[in-house]
Amino acid sequence: TDIGVNPAEFPRPGSEPWNPPFVEGNADPKYMRLTSAALPNSAALKARWGLPVGGIVDPLNKDGPPVTLVDFGSAGIVRCRKCRTYINPFVVWTDGGRRFRCNLCGTTNEVPVDYFCTLGPDGRRRDHNERPELSQGSVEYVASQEYMVRAPMPPVYFFLIDVSAPAVASGSVDSIIQTIKSTLDNLPGDTRTQVGFITFDSSLQFYNLSPKLQAPQMLVVTDLEGEPFLPIPTEDLIVNLAEARHVVDAFLETLPTIIAKNQSADSALGSALQAVHMAMSHLGGKLLVFQTTMPNVGAARLKNRDNATLYGTDREHTLRNPEDPFFKKMAAECSRVQICVDVFSLSPSYTDLASLSTLCKYTGGQMYYYPGFQAQRDSIKLNKDLTHNLTRETGWEAVMRIRCSKGLRISSFHGHFFIRSTDLLALPAVDGDKAYAVQISHEENIVASSEAYLQCALLYTSSSGERRIRVHTMKAPVVSDLGEMYKTADGPATAALLSRLAVEKGLSSRLEDARQAVNARVLAVLKEYKSLYGINHRMPNKLVLPEGLKMVPLYALALTKSKALRGGAKDVGVDERSVVGYQMMAMGVAETLRYLYPTMYALHDMPDNCGNTNAEGMVVMPTPVALATEVLDHRGVYLLDDGRIFICWVGRGAPAEVLEGLFGAAGVSDVLSLEPQQDSEISKSANRLLAALRSKRELHQQCFVVRQGEPMETHWLPYLVEDRTQGAMSYTDFLCHLHRNTSK
Amino acid sequence: MDFNEIEAKEGVRLSWNVWPNNRVEATKCVVPLGAFVTPAKHLPDMPVVPYEPVRCRSCGACLNPFSRVDYVGKIWICPFCYSRNHFPPHYASIAENNLPAELFPNYTSIEYQLPQQAAVTAPVYLLVVDTCLAEDDLGALKASLTQALSLLPENALVGLVHVHELGFQDCSKSYVFRGSKEVSMAKIQDQLGMRGIQGRPAAQGQPAGGSNAGIDRFLLPLSDCEFQLSGVLEELQSDAFPATPEDRASRCTGIAMQVAVGLLGAGAAGTAGRVLLFLGGPCTEGPGAIVGKKKDEAIRQHKDINKDTVPYYKKAKKFYEAMSTELVKNGHVVDIFACALDQVGLAEMKIICERTGGVSVLAEGFHHQMFKESFRRLISREGASEASLGLAARGTFEVIPSRDVKVAGVIGPCAPLDKKSQAVADTPVGMGGTTAWRLCGLDAASTICCFFEVANPKADDKQGSPPQQQQFFLQFVTTRQLPSGEVRLRATTMTRAWTDGTNTQHLVAGFDQEASAVLLGRLAAFKMENDDEFDPMRWIDRKLINVAKRFGEFRKDDPQSFQLAPNMSIFPQFMFNLRRSQFVQVFNNSPDETAHYRMILQREGVVSSLIMIQPMLLSYSLSGASHMHIT
Ligand SMILES: [Zn+2]
Ligand SMILES: [Zn+2]
Repeated sequence: TDIGVNPAEFPRPGSEPWNPPFVEGNADPKYMRLTSAALPNSAALKARWGLPVGGIVDPLNKDGPPVTLVDFGSAGIVRCRKCRTYINPFVVWTDGGRRFRCNLCGTTNEVPVDYFCTLGPDGRRRDHNERPELSQGSVEYVASQEYMVRAPMPPVYFFLIDVSAPAVASGSVDSIIQTIKSTLDNLPGDTRTQVGFITFDSSLQFYNLSPKLQAPQMLVVTDLEGEPFLPIPTEDLIVNLAEARHVVDAFLETLPTIIAKNQSADSALGSALQAVHMAMSHLGGKLLVFQTTMPNVGAARLKNRDNATLYGTDREHTLRNPEDPFFKKMAAECSRVQICVDVFSLSPSYTDLASLSTLCKYTGGQMYYYPGFQAQRDSIKLNKDLTHNLTRETGWEAVMRIRCSKGLRISSFHGHFFIRSTDLLALPAVDGDKAYAVQISHEENIVASSEAYLQCALLYTSSSGERRIRVHTMKAPVVSDLGEMYKTADGPATAALLSRLAVEKGLSSRLEDARQAVNARVLAVLKEYKSLYGINHRMPNKLVLPEGLKMVPLYALALTKSKALRGGAKDVGVDERSVVGYQMMAMGVAETLRYLYPTMYALHDMPDNCGNTNAEGMVVMPTPVALATEVLDHRGVYLLDDGRIFICWVGRGAPAEVLEGLFGAAGVSDVLSLEPQQDSEISKSANRLLAALRSKRELHQQCFVVRQGEPMETHWLPYLVEDRTQGAMSYTDFLCHLHRNTSK
Repeated sequence: MDFNEIEAKEGVRLSWNVWPNNRVEATKCVVPLGAFVTPAKHLPDMPVVPYEPVRCRSCGACLNPFSRVDYVGKIWICPFCYSRNHFPPHYASIAENNLPAELFPNYTSIEYQLPQQAAVTAPVYLLVVDTCLAEDDLGALKASLTQALSLLPENALVGLVHVHELGFQDCSKSYVFRGSKEVSMAKIQDQLGMRGIQGRPAAQGQPAGGSNAGIDRFLLPLSDCEFQLSGVLEELQSDAFPATPEDRASRCTGIAMQVAVGLLGAGAAGTAGRVLLFLGGPCTEGPGAIVGKKKDEAIRQHKDINKDTVPYYKKAKKFYEAMSTELVKNGHVVDIFACALDQVGLAEMKIICERTGGVSVLAEGFHHQMFKESFRRLISREGASEASLGLAARGTFEVIPSRDVKVAGVIGPCAPLDKKSQAVADTPVGMGGTTAWRLCGLDAASTICCFFEVANPKADDKQGSPPQQQQFFLQFVTTRQLPSGEVRLRATTMTRAWTDGTNTQHLVAGFDQEASAVLLGRLAAFKMENDDEFDPMRWIDRKLINVAKRFGEFRKDDPQSFQLAPNMSIFPQFMFNLRRSQFVQVFNNSPDETAHYRMILQREGVVSSLIMIQPMLLSYSLSGASHMHIT
């Protein structure tokens, strides 16, 4: 290589993700972090920073540290009277503690009498340490009556299940029902929780689950023309689970028999959605849609519009966008009445997920994808994913707002929500598995103060029926020197924001353009860096990367090779690309990095106690290996983890004892699966490893085996993002390319 | 003549038993020439023979005792059209001392057992239950229905509309229709998943429709579904969408009936089927609505209908008219149990009940004895094995007259078919334009009133005809399917004398004042409903005056001398009471009540009708009180 360096020394992620340093008074970076801890003081400076300036907000991150609950009682939560910022560690106390100056807008506020406290010699209140809202960057307030437009809603889980013949045949309906059955005892919300069901094929089937009944009643509506109607009142359709448990149990018991002989191969999903919307509109809640057959009767019929010939044309992006405005309108309607839609697509073929995912997108929901679902293969995954969805802590009827201090503003939001009144994100349901990204712009050309503040407030109803406000606050220095930004740059956060922007770009341009935009930004930031420091380094033949951004080229390269952006029509199916893009828009920082550059472990070379928790409380992991063909030993066995699936690659020359130990196989061709566990140390280690990794993930990761040299390997090769592939550079080439172009 | 006695023998009663033999004289009779026929009347002496009738090749009349038979030539001459017919080969041994039953002089009514045309099918009962009822009323209805289940024959196919799929063991499953929108029959069948079941030839070795797709999902033998149906009835809830106090319940009777009719039509066309509608209030939603939902809007009265100020009335009538066509096509019956304090729209729905030969019951509620009794009686009648006359599926009623008699039409519990023939009169009376009618539901009392016209004899008649002929003939041919599946054909042949008509004595001697009064009652009621210009008072008065003028005896300028023959003497009183009866006077009755009474009048026999026209009459007669005379 012409840069004369050793690829083994290229920057690569370690086994643990990098986090920015902790700043006192700031929210933990797991909840909120900026792409650069220091913000540029002017629009001009920002313009010179080739990368996006913004942050990632993950307000309920389940991996975040505990957040203290604060109850101001009837006194009310203390906020700035002008900009409504919540009291936080960075307000400035004046007048002996009788007033405070808002750190975001500078307004001086009277301190409520009940909240008054004298100040100590350091200018802090004497109760500083006892008051979590003054000492911690993240707190959660119990909201008073004024934060409610209605009584806090109960958790509502509504299931809309495709029972068309293909759905039944795939075994999905059974899997869904079994899972719901097994989670009924663990739904959040105790005795407040409500549930409802509608099934559909070419008609809609409603179920009267009134607790007054002995057994459920099924009501079939076949007239799908015009406005839908409900055959029974909503209170019989959505019932309190505790009160109607006997009817719900009876329903789940009989449903498989009821639909077993279903012969309809049609789907009236659109009409079903209209009906559910009517049923849920007075309550809101979570709507879980299980979809197999492409909607083809009733409202909103979809059609196969997958068309490879559009690739490379200026209409390419239309494939990745919804065609029928129905779903967006429906989503906006759902958002308005606090319905969050999750779609589980189980379709055996193209089903226009670009259109369907719109439902989730604007309601803060999730998109699950089980292409060609087969119970035998996929029921465990569906079971685990659905169980996690149903049992995780969930916030209801939420809104989120991010405020920033004078001179700055949030200029864009990236993620899944509906924007109400310019900066209020409506989130009918919210949980710890979803992150949101923002970009920050300058409202004034120059920000005068040396510090800026951001505050994220999430108002939601807990499953226990309390109205809560989770508030994260952070301080960021404002700098006039680009060098300060390079010093404080947060590569992982940058990669996370960059990937969202790239996915969005793909919705309005060709994939090729989206990829080039990524590369251009990386090149721009490095070029600027070189012009700042190139002379100092006096190493004309070496690409110099700023420490904080050293991984960005690798992540950028991986991003262009991800399923969301790579190749063309034949490389990734349009539905799969939609789903991957959709999921990337909601990933937290750590998840994004893992997805872009999966971790690969050498299973043939594991420490003995791998997968166990060591004395420091850490799970012992094998050393990660670079994602490059050249490091793969054909005598080895590797496990790749991208946070969504596991792939186990088995080298052609793997020794017999490894094959026997890990797989109980006599030869490579006998290798089937890492699971179930064999009676050997190596297999136990490997299975402990799988279990440890899975325990933290939102989605259940299935583990597939790929044997070297076999056709299945084509699915494996794209994960080796450091390799040169057709039409895409290798990591080495990419660094050379950057080096060459920054030197010009 | 004792007309009651003749009726007991023939099942037929005429307004005139002697007819003028020409058109001019016939029109002077004032009271039309008519016959009340009770086609399923129990006739104790009537033979039932296990073969098909021999019919005239020309006019289709059945061989009868009035046929002239040439035993040598094995030829018979039809008394209606004078055609010469050869006997079929199996009648070869016919001789004066070896007569088939239909030639016995006594057997003017005879029933033939036809070879079965349809597979034996059990009768279908489809219950259409209004759930917009108060809890207690619904409870009473549920109790009656549950009881009824135990009275129905075990093989009866039973279904429930708001529409229940009964062939479904796992969970109560209903199909629900939008109450507000009119849908076509085809669409309903489509929506119930019964598309293509009719008319689609079954692939070989494969049952048509498949067990999960057809009618058997909704209609099951009672023995198979009694438990389940009881359960469904048990769980039947009062309407789940209660109306506010200012509003009427949102009741979509029209669509419910449409669904029921569509369901039966798809699965049981041509076999015996009854839709039993249990209705507790007016239809306010969708087609067939008779009033709006707001209670301050009153339900139409006669004056509103007369002034044509009810927006719903004509539309609803039209809707049910179309429905009656469908019902008649499939041979299904509708019974209406209207049980409410207020009106429910019987006036609009009348046609589906009347044309199909169903019954209507008016009561104040389902807890009311009137309902419970009527319903129990209807059901147990259907259930009893001997009451095999309760249901006639796709039955027909055909009239064959002598060639100088024309059939003007009928009024009664039937619907016109389209059988054109020489015998159809130019001017229809009642349901005319045909000589055959469909009988959907028929019981032993159902009585059809037929109207006739006399044609002028043709001068060039070669066969020899009136005035030479002394007698004219009428034959009534009724086919119907018994619950056992057996198809019966009844032929009643009768003859009466012609007279030249100028001799009123002859005519008067054959005058049946009871039959005549009821006939005029039917005709008045029919005209009131079908002729906007019709003035019943004037019409009845004119009839009476003209009868008096033509048939009364009086001396000029001496009113005291006026006298009517004894067998005409109560006729004026009948007319007087008809004028005041609930069939003609609508003043104190609601349109629903009027409709109900008229439906009874149009289906009952002469005697029952007379009791209704003149409830006091019999007590007078029985107490031997002298007859009143008009002055
Ligand atoms: Zn402020
Ligand atoms: Zn003849």
